[in-house]
Amino acid sequence: MNTNDPAQVPGQQSAAPAQVPGKQSAKQPGQAAEATSPHVSTPPASAASAATSVSPVFSVRELWKVFGPRADRIPGSPEAHLPAAELRERTGCTAAVRGVSFDVHQGEVFVVMGLSGSGKSTLVRCLTRLIEPTSGSIGMDGEDVLAMDRTRLRDLRRHRAAMVFQHFGLLPHRSVLDNIAYGLEIQGVRKAQRRARAAEMVAKVGLSGMEHRRPGQLSGGQQQRVGLARALAVDPEVLLFDEPFSALDPLIRRDMQEEVVRLHRDEGRTMVFITHDLSEALRLGSRIALMRDGEIVQLGTPEDIVGAPADDYVRDFVRDVPREQVLTVRRAMRQARDGEAGQGPALAPGATVAEAIEAVARSGGPARVMDAGRCLGVVDHACLLDVVAGLDRAPQPSPDERTDADGSAGRRAGARESAKEDGGADGRANEAPDECADKPAPGGQQPGSDEAVTA
Amino acid sequence: MRALIRHRGVRKLAVLAVLAAVLVPLAHAKWASGSWPSALTVDLTDPLTDVNDWIIDNRDSHPLFVYFFGHISNAIVLSVRGVYLVLLALGWVGVTAAATLVAWRVAGAKTALTSAVSFALCGLLGMWVPTMQTLALMVVAVALSIAIGGLLGLVGGLSERAFRVLRPVLDTMQVLPAFAYLLPVVLVFGIGVPGAVLATVIYAAPPMARLTALGLRGADAEVLEAVDSLGAGRWQRLVTARLPLARKELLLGVNQTIMMALSMAVIASMIGGGGLGDRVYQALSSVDVGAALAAGIPIVLLAVVLDRTTANAGARSGGTPVAPRWLRGLDGWVVAAALVAGQLADSLTWPKSWTVEIAKPVNDAVDWMTDHLYSGVPAIGGTADWAGHFTSWVLDPLRDGLQGLPWWAALLIVAALAWLIGTWGTALTAVLALAAIGVLGVWDESMNTLSQVLAAVAVTLVIGFATGIAAARSARVERLLRPVLDVFQTMPQFVYLIPVVALFGVGRAPAAAAAIVYALPAVIRITTQGLRQVDQAAIEAARSLGATRGQQLRQVQLPLAKPSLLLAVNQGVVLVLAVVIIGSLVGGGGLGYEVLLGLAQGDLATGLVAGAAIVCLGLMLDRVTQPTGRRARKGA
Repeated sequence: MNTNDPAQVPGQQSAAPAQVPGKQSAKQPGQAAEATSPHVSTPPASAASAATSVSPVFSVRELWKVFGPRADRIPGSPEAHLPAAELRERTGCTAAVRGVSFDVHQGEVFVVMGLSGSGKSTLVRCLTRLIEPTSGSIGMDGEDVLAMDRTRLRDLRRHRAAMVFQHFGLLPHRSVLDNIAYGLEIQGVRKAQRRARAAEMVAKVGLSGMEHRRPGQLSGGQQQRVGLARALAVDPEVLLFDEPFSALDPLIRRDMQEEVVRLHRDEGRTMVFITHDLSEALRLGSRIALMRDGEIVQLGTPEDIVGAPADDYVRDFVRDVPREQVLTVRRAMRQARDGEAGQGPALAPGATVAEAIEAVARSGGPARVMDAGRCLGVVDHACLLDVVAGLDRAPQPSPDERTDADGSAGRRAGARESAKEDGGADGRANEAPDECADKPAPGGQQPGSDEAVTA
Repeated sequence: MRALIRHRGVRKLAVLAVLAAVLVPLAHAKWASGSWPSALTVDLTDPLTDVNDWIIDNRDSHPLFVYFFGHISNAIVLSVRGVYLVLLALGWVGVTAAATLVAWRVAGAKTALTSAVSFALCGLLGMWVPTMQTLALMVVAVALSIAIGGLLGLVGGLSERAFRVLRPVLDTMQVLPAFAYLLPVVLVFGIGVPGAVLATVIYAAPPMARLTALGLRGADAEVLEAVDSLGAGRWQRLVTARLPLARKELLLGVNQTIMMALSMAVIASMIGGGGLGDRVYQALSSVDVGAALAAGIPIVLLAVVLDRTTANAGARSGGTPVAPRWLRGLDGWVVAAALVAGQLADSLTWPKSWTVEIAKPVNDAVDWMTDHLYSGVPAIGGTADWAGHFTSWVLDPLRDGLQGLPWWAALLIVAALAWLIGTWGTALTAVLALAAIGVLGVWDESMNTLSQVLAAVAVTLVIGFATGIAAARSARVERLLRPVLDVFQTMPQFVYLIPVVALFGVGRAPAAAAAIVYALPAVIRITTQGLRQVDQAAIEAARSLGATRGQQLRQVQLPLAKPSLLLAVNQGVVLVLAVVIIGSLVGGGGLGYEVLLGLAQGDLATGLVAGAAIVCLGLMLDRVTQPTGRRARKGA
C-alpha cells in the first residue's frame, strides 16, 4: 500500500477504524497496539512487559486536527484524504493531523518525526489539548482526555504532562529559579517549598550558579535547560518535547540530547519527543513515528525505519543514515552452517553491525550471534558488507507482506528490550534464510513468535 | 502608454475623473459658488444654544446632573483639592525630596539630579504654587487616565472583537487637536476644575488604552502556550504572564499618557484648570512675554522630569536595579519620611526671598528685540518683516485661493489625494469629513485654518526632510540633534507659543511658526529612522555598482523609505494642525479663534460647531495622508 498513491489511501484508512473497536473491547495487554492501521505497529513485547495491568500512557485513535472554517465536517468526508493544496482549494481547510493512531507506552521515548508542516507539532499539542483536536480520541492512562472538563484538564497539565518548547517559552521577567518554579507556583505550592524543589532541578540540569540570572542573560542551550528543568520540576508522568533542540547549535544540541538520554536512563520517565532531525530521532527514540502530511507513514523502532522503510518516502528519508550504526546483527545474520555454531567470537543479538564488523575483522572468520547460550545464527564478511552496502534491502513488499514485516519488527523491538525470548529466538534462528539478507520476516505471524512475546 | 494605464494610481484617477465629469456639472449648475453653498448647510447654532440653555437651567435640578455628573464633578474636585493640599503640606522640601527619591529609585541618579534641579528652578522662578496646582490636577487626571485607559486596553487586549471596535476610535482620538475636546466638556461640566480634569483624561487616556491593548496582544505566543501547558488558569495567566510580558508597552503607555496629560492640563487652564497654563494664558493674552516665559519654563521642566523618569523606568525594565541599596527597601521611604517630617516646621511654600523675577529682564530683552530685530536689519530684514512677508506672500494667497476654490473642486482634490496615498475607504472618510465642514457652515474659517496648516506643513517637510536626510547620512549630525529633539518632543504644544510671540509678534505667521517648530522633531526623527532602516544590502549593492551618494539616496534610500516618509507627512500634518488651532491664542484666527470666542463669550454653540469642524478637519487631514502602517503619536 503506497501512501504516495492517493487512490489507495482511503482503503487503508477505512481498514484501521474497523479494527479499533474490536481491539479496544478486547482490552488485552499487547493487543491494543495492533489496533493501529496496517503500517503502524507497536511492540507487543514492550507493551506486555511494561503493562501487565497498566494501559498505555497515551492511546491515540483516529486523531484529526483540521484548521479552517467548519473544520469538523472534514474528518470522514470524501475530501479528507485529498492532498493539502487541493483540500485547501476546495474547502478552505488545512488538515494538520489526519487520522493518526498510536500508543505511547510506559517508560519509552516515543519520537514523532517529520519535516516542517507534517503536523507533528500540532499532534503533540493535541495530546494535552493546547490545540483542540477536531475528532478522534485520546486516552491517557485509560482516561478520555477529550472528555475532560476544564478543571480536570488543568489538573492533567499541572501534574501529569509537562512540555518543553522549541523556543523555550520562558518568562523573561523572572529569574532562572522562578522560571523553574513557575509550574509549582501555578499549582499553588508555597514559595519556600517550590524554591527548594527548583533549586534541586537547577542542579539536575547543570545550571548551578545561574539561579538568579534572567533568561535573556543565558545562552540558547542554557535557556533550554531551564525549560527542561521547569518541566521536570512538576514531576510529570510524561515529558513532551516539541523540537526542543532545533534552535540550538549542533554541539550544544548533542549535549542536550545526551542530557535527555541520561535523564531517561536515570528516571525512566515516559517521553514524547518531536523532532525533524532524523539522527536525533534515531539516537533518542525507542520507537519512531514518521509523519508526512499529517499522517503516520511508518511506526517502528529505529532499526525498522532504517532497515525496512515502509515506502519510498521513508527510504528517501533514511538514505544517508549510516546503516551499520543502527541495524543489528539479528538483521544481518544467516543460518549457521556446519560447525560454525561452535566457534568464533560471540555477539549479542542486539549488537550493531558496526560492532560485528569489528569482531569479524579481528577474528578473520564469522562471528556467532549468541543469546542465552544459544546460537541464533552467524555473521560473516559478506553478510555485514551487504548491510553496509544496502543490499539486504528486500524487494518492494506487497502490502500484506509489509504488515508482517512490521509485526516482526515490532517483536524484535520488544526483543531488544527484554532478554527473555527463547521461543522467539528459536523461531527466528529457524527462519533465518540462507541468504544474508533479512527479508521481511514471515515469522511474525508464526505461533512460536507470539509465544515468545507473551512468555 | 500601456504601462501608464495599468498603473494603479492612474486607474484610480480615471475613475475619479469619470465621477467628476458626471457630478460636477450637476453640482455646479445647482449650487454654483466659490465657498460651500449655503443651501447645503445646516445651522446648528440654535439647537445647540437650546441644549446649552437647557443644561444651564437644569444643572442643579435634573437627576442626570444631580446624581451622575454631579457626583463625578464633586469627586474630582475633592481629589484634586486633596492632592493639592497634600503637596502643600509636604512643603517644597518634601515635594522636591520625594520627586528626587522616586526618580532615583526608578530611573537612576542622573534623572534624580534633573528632578531636584527642576523643582528648585520652579521655586526660584516664583512659580511654586501654580506648579503644585498643575501637578495636583495632573496627578488626578493621570490616575484616571491610566485606570480608564488600562481597563479599555485590557478589554481590547483580551478580546478580539473589542479590539476591532476600539482601535479605529483610539487611532482617531489620537489625531484630534486638543481644542476639540474642550467645548463638549464645558457644555456638560461648565468651566472649572472637573471639566479641565475630564478634558485631560479624554485626551490622555487613548495612548494608555492603545498601548495596553497592543502590549497584551504582542505577547510571545510560545510563552503563553508554555504557561497554558503548565495548567495556568485564566487569572494566573493574566497576572503572571500577560501583564508582565506587556510591561514595556504598559510603561510606555504611562509615559505617553503623562506627557499628553501635561500638554492638555496646560491647555485646559482655558476652561478653568488654573495653575501654570493659566499664567501662560493670561500673560499671552496681554502679550507679556516675560511673565509667559516665567510660567512656561516650569512647564518645560515638569515635562522633562516626568518624561525622563517614566521613560527611564520603562527602559530599565527587567534590568538591574538602579537605585542604591538603601533606597530599594522600605528603609529608603522611612528616610524620606523623616526628611520630610524634619522640614515640616519650616516654610511650606517656596520662600519669597529666594525667588528671581525674570519677567522684567525678559520683557526688556524682548523690547530690545522689537526695536532692533523686528525690522530694518540690513540685508536680511527683520523677524517681523519675515512674518509679514510670509503672511502676505504665502498665507494670504493660499487662504484666498482655498476660499475661492469651488467647493466641489476641493472635495475632488481631497478625494484624489487620499485615494492615491491610501485606500478608497480613507478617501471616502476624508471627503465626508470635508463635506461635513461645509454642512456645519464654517467653510471659510476652515479654509483659513487649512491654509495655515498647508503652509506650515510645506515648510516643516522641507526643513524636516533635509535635516532628516542629513542626520541619516552623518552620525555626527544625528548625535548633535538627538538631545535637542528629545527636549523638543517632550514639550507641551502650549509653550511653543511663547518664543514665537517674542520673535514675531502676534498674527497668523507666528502661529504657523510655532506649528513648524512643534512638528519638526517628529518629522526629522521619522525621516532619519526610515532612511537608516533601509536594507543595507540594497545600498551596498548600489554602491558596488558604482552609484554616487546622490544616486544612492535618490534611487535606493528614498524609494525604500517611502512608507516612513509618508508616515512623517502624516505626523507632520497632525501635529501642525494641533498647534495651528492653539495658535489662535496669538492671533492665528480660523477655527481655533471660534472656539476661543465661544469660550470667552459663553457662546458655546459657536464654539461647539467650530470644535466639530476641527474634528472633521483633523479627520480629513489624517485620512488624506494616511499611509498603510501607523505608529503612535509623537515619536513613539
